[in-house]
Amino acid sequence: MTTPTSAGGSPADADATSSGLVLPGADAAAGGTTVPLAARGSGQLADIRRRFVRNRLAMVGLAIVTVLIVLAIIGPYVTPYDAFEQNLANTLQPPSADHWFGTDVLGRDLFSGIVYGCRLAILVGLLTVAFSLLIGLTLGAVAGFKGGAWDGIIARFIDVFLAFPPLVGAIVIVRAVGGGVTPVIVALVALGWMTTARLTRGQVLALREAEYVEAARSIGADNRRIVMRHVLPNAIAPVLVYAFTNIGVVIVAMASLSYLGIGVPPDVPEWGRLISQATPFLRVEGKAHLWLAPALAIAITTLGFAFVADGMRDSLDPKLRGGN
Amino acid sequence: MARFIVRRLVQAVLVILAATFLIFLATFALGDPFASSGEKAVPPDIAQANREKFGLDKPLPLQYLIYVGNMVRGDFGIDYDQHRPVSQLLEAAVPNTVRLAIVAIIIDILIGVIAGVIAAVKRYSFWDVLVTVIATLAIGIPVFVIGVVLVANVSGWGPFPSVPRSFTVQVPWYQEVLLPAFTLAIIDAAFIARLMRGSMLEVLRADYIRTARAKGLSERTVIGKHAMRNSMIPVVTYVGVSLGVLFGGAIITETIFQYNGVGYLLSRAIVNSNAPIIIAVVVFSVVAYVLISMLVDILYAFLDPRIRLS
Amino acid sequence: MARDENAGAAATRAQHLLEVQDLRVHFQTGGGVVKAVDGVSWHVDAGETLAIVGESGSGKSVSAMTLLGLVPSPPATFPSGRVLLEGRSLLDMPDQQQRRLRGKDIAMIFQDPLTALNPVFRVGEQIAEMIRAHQSVGKSAAKSRAVELLAEVGIPDPRLRATQFPHEFSGGMRQRAMIAMALANDPKVLIADEPTTALDVTVQAQIMSLLEKLQAERDTAIVLITHDLGLVAAHADRIMVMYAGRVVEEGSNDEIFTAPRHAYTHGLLSSLTRMDHARPEKLEPIPGQPPNLARVPQGCAFHPRCPFATDACRAEVPLLVPTSPGAAHRHACVHPDEVAVAHERPREPAPVVTADTPVDERPPMLEVRELVKHFPIKVGTFVKRTVGEVKAVDGVTLDITEGSTLSLVGESGCGKSTAARAILRLHEPTSGTIELGGVDVTGLSQTKLRAARRDMQIVFQDPYASLNPRMTVRQILTEKYELLGGQVTSSTIPDLLETVGLAPEYADRYPHEFSGGQRQRVGIARAIALNPKFVVLDEPVSALDVSIQAQVLNLLEELQQEFGLTYLFIAHDLSVVRHISDRVAVMYLGGIVEIADRDALFERPHHPYTQALISAVPIPDPAVERSRERIVLTGDVPNPANPPSGCRFRTRCWKHLQLSDDDKRRCIEEPPTLQPASGSDRHQVSCHFAGEREVLRG
Repeated sequence: MTTPTSAGGSPADADATSSGLVLPGADAAAGGTTVPLAARGSGQLADIRRRFVRNRLAMVGLAIVTVLIVLAIIGPYVTPYDAFEQNLANTLQPPSADHWFGTDVLGRDLFSGIVYGCRLAILVGLLTVAFSLLIGLTLGAVAGFKGGAWDGIIARFIDVFLAFPPLVGAIVIVRAVGGGVTPVIVALVALGWMTTARLTRGQVLALREAEYVEAARSIGADNRRIVMRHVLPNAIAPVLVYAFTNIGVVIVAMASLSYLGIGVPPDVPEWGRLISQATPFLRVEGKAHLWLAPALAIAITTLGFAFVADGMRDSLDPKLRGGN
Repeated sequence: MARFIVRRLVQAVLVILAATFLIFLATFALGDPFASSGEKAVPPDIAQANREKFGLDKPLPLQYLIYVGNMVRGDFGIDYDQHRPVSQLLEAAVPNTVRLAIVAIIIDILIGVIAGVIAAVKRYSFWDVLVTVIATLAIGIPVFVIGVVLVANVSGWGPFPSVPRSFTVQVPWYQEVLLPAFTLAIIDAAFIARLMRGSMLEVLRADYIRTARAKGLSERTVIGKHAMRNSMIPVVTYVGVSLGVLFGGAIITETIFQYNGVGYLLSRAIVNSNAPIIIAVVVFSVVAYVLISMLVDILYAFLDPRIRLS
Repeated sequence: MARDENAGAAATRAQHLLEVQDLRVHFQTGGGVVKAVDGVSWHVDAGETLAIVGESGSGKSVSAMTLLGLVPSPPATFPSGRVLLEGRSLLDMPDQQQRRLRGKDIAMIFQDPLTALNPVFRVGEQIAEMIRAHQSVGKSAAKSRAVELLAEVGIPDPRLRATQFPHEFSGGMRQRAMIAMALANDPKVLIADEPTTALDVTVQAQIMSLLEKLQAERDTAIVLITHDLGLVAAHADRIMVMYAGRVVEEGSNDEIFTAPRHAYTHGLLSSLTRMDHARPEKLEPIPGQPPNLARVPQGCAFHPRCPFATDACRAEVPLLVPTSPGAAHRHACVHPDEVAVAHERPREPAPVVTADTPVDERPPMLEVRELVKHFPIKVGTFVKRTVGEVKAVDGVTLDITEGSTLSLVGESGCGKSTAARAILRLHEPTSGTIELGGVDVTGLSQTKLRAARRDMQIVFQDPYASLNPRMTVRQILTEKYELLGGQVTSSTIPDLLETVGLAPEYADRYPHEFSGGQRQRVGIARAIALNPKFVVLDEPVSALDVSIQAQVLNLLEELQQEFGLTYLFIAHDLSVVRHISDRVAVMYLGGIVEIADRDALFERPHHPYTQALISAVPIPDPAVERSRERIVLTGDVPNPANPPSGCRFRTRCWKHLQLSDDDKRRCIEEPPTLQPASGSDRHQVSCHFAGEREVLRG
């Protein structure tokens, strides 16, 4: 957010940016912007990547996300203890060399628990967002491209699901489907696909009329090809940005469910559950690590994904960042 | 305008019916509340009598129709646990939730809009970075963490009532509402600040802002009048959604602060699978959400004259 | 506008109303310092119109916007420059004081009146705000003054209009409202930045005549910033030509057009199409692209594109020098004499196609009969009801002979683009038949239609929007072969690119890496791949700079000759139409009002609309412009969902107003049909009272 990238937003720079975007208010109607071909990269993706890499917060976010994903994959193989192993003789230990984050109410190693929670959070976060994307993109694309009755029906569907209070809806679904990780994902997907669908619909609706779509039609492309090759690839960027931002929201939502005692089984060291188990010790001197560790884990994870999403948005849409 | 409202009302009714049916299905899937076993097993004939009393012996579609019929007359049935009329429980809880939602949304808008505008106008400055980082951080903190920390450290101090609540101490509503409202507002304010910043940045690049400057207007008028009005448009949508959700009851926050709103009512109902209350609260939330989003659409048309209501 | 012959001489001694001295505006960017304006001086006096001319990126807008403090700093820096308004130095004043002059002494109107007006405030309020910002008047007084101003700029029903929002205005109305706002405080200087570029040509004529009238009444100085040399010839007193942030030539209107001394000015004029020249001339485009302002070439910035360039041009930046001692006509060219000689030389005629059979004896390639395209207007949430229809195309009949070009012209909303898309079945026609090379296209199944698309292609208007940004040029071109069949060998794409004048190594680049002209070449390559018979050219050059337009037009002509292509050319720019067409059809509100061979249409137009259209186009020759009479149409194009009865043009028709009541009734009640004019079947006109009128020359 603080790194200067390309120029923008000033009247003169239509010719100045190497990205060659035509900016609103650029000099003259003709809009015949010249792009210095000497300054070319290997393509649009390269430009996006370059802008992303120059964005410090985005890189911080990327580092966080990378570490978390690595941790989620290799975690259980490198943690000092089994995250589930209870040792009632050794509860509520302060952080030490043996137990980096101390032990919890059940005498489990808190560090190992946090790492296990990370695996769970990343898994649920990514799967939920992936399934929401699948549903949202499909329904959004159908509504936007087909229009008419399709659009009307899908819009009402979206309305119905949006009208559900999200957390309450999730609670009811989890209780209806049963405990465990899968019902949590089902519930979060059921209440999380709508924004993706709306975003996609709006994008597709706008791009459906794009001249290059008409151009594709003029060379004989059918609807399937137009949607898959011409509309979706151009529509997907803001949807992906939203999805990435949403990973953090999903993780927080899962933690909230566990905090309420719903979803993953009680003995699983899920972050929200760890916080919930630590609440009795909130006012106890020297026990702050019990809730602080999982709370920070949630905050850092969400922050990481949000920074990456912000960076993606800024590098995909350099004009939003304007001058400097 | 009238046509628009009629059409939206028809849509609203459809959405409410569909949503209530879904919640009906979901609670039905929770299983038979009067099935029991073990030592405390209720004799089968009493269980059967209970089922008849609550209408559970009828097929699901019929149950639903009966429920909707009663609902229209303001009758939400009686709860499983203490056999109180659910409508009375709602009546007691709803005003508290409405107060909480309104206070929270006011704090939201104040903090969020001001922070967002400052960040956008003073772009790349220290303030911009500060707002962006804090806003991003705040989104990553679960509401229950903020809640429990406030309960542990702030409640019981100064004007803030202590938690767990004492039944003997009466506290005026504005004292009661402060901490939960603040808890709810932090995260929403962060969202609004980010939204406002982005929207304001976009608007500041618009040609009509250039025109306003060319007119010789002061920077305060340019930002406060010309840019503000346009950049508020997406914020209004968000605030509307947010208010709709808040009216549905902030289940976690109300529970943490033991605040007697529909959220707290619901969380207690969930613990003992009190289906009539669950359904009634969800119906209330859905209705509130749908009505508010309708109001927001109308407000939207006033904010943005390009949108015609038809 | 004021044409005081002594103004130039007198002005050098006296103080100017507004004077800019050695202005530099630089932008700090990641790619280096962009010198948008690099040492520019100019002045303007009361009642005078100064035109600043240049292509996009020449710095013409920035230099003017700096005066109003509209160039944000950072990123801009102002290394040097003084702006004197009646002798007071503007840029040294405190912000507060500068602001008080903005909108009061210097006002500005912008290119796009839709985005320049705030969408959420009423038009009257926005004008009243301008008044109250600089005069101490009450709210209601300001509001009634706003209504007066709206009336003054020719907005009918100003009281009601003042309470409406900008989106309720048409484009021309919005620009009138902008002008009303700009003139609210009787400014001494009015800066008009491409004021008519977003408007149709008949509306442009309205706006320009309004500006001239207001200028004459108030003695306002106008700075007209534009790329349109025709507009300049018609309206400017003095002209300043800019290139790459510098002034390359300045002088009086006549001096610049008849005796240019800078190679760039000469190049611009040679690349123009002239509507009034009977004999088609070969366009001489300026080769290459305008420079990237972060890397302006050494010496004269124009030298890489200049036919006269020598080592002296590359050595150092030439200074602005008078053509003769003491003259106000100045240029910054090392070779003014060569330019003068080159400009005197008559232009070469356009290469004539030596075909075996003359155009009018060849068989038709495309036959369109009674083509209709109506768009239903639907409302409803679940069940859509049709409440009306937009009659975008309402019975169009035309033929295009093989290897020839027919232009379909008209203002925006006349249905020309829709007609073209219906002919290609990109929009499904409502009724009518289309035959291409004897094959009825209207009845083809989707599969057969796809196959038929090999023969009928389209080049789109906006080269920025018509290429999928996520595909490389190779992918874009290859897709056509994948879909329509045809072998792609290793030489296919390179050959294709070479045919349209692009280097083969461009194949793996993405659209955003190209300039507008280059992108349009890619679009053309896509259209001509697989050798189609018929190509629709939908305003293919209207989004391009003048010097690039000529390049693309030449390419299109070469391709037509080489491959025997048949063109349907959609355009609103009549100068280009005169250059490229064999036949021309004029459309108004969904129907053809006149169709004729090119020269017949331009030299002897019969329909009052055609006449108004031609007369509204300014010709880049001040001598011609001085003697021309302009027919200024009133009002806007009616809503095609609810067209007028009888003759659709009657509501704006200048001739209708002169008719007797009986004749008027005929226009209102009886829709005219296309009838032969001047006894020729090749010239048809749809007007009850058609008659010739000279509109091209004085």
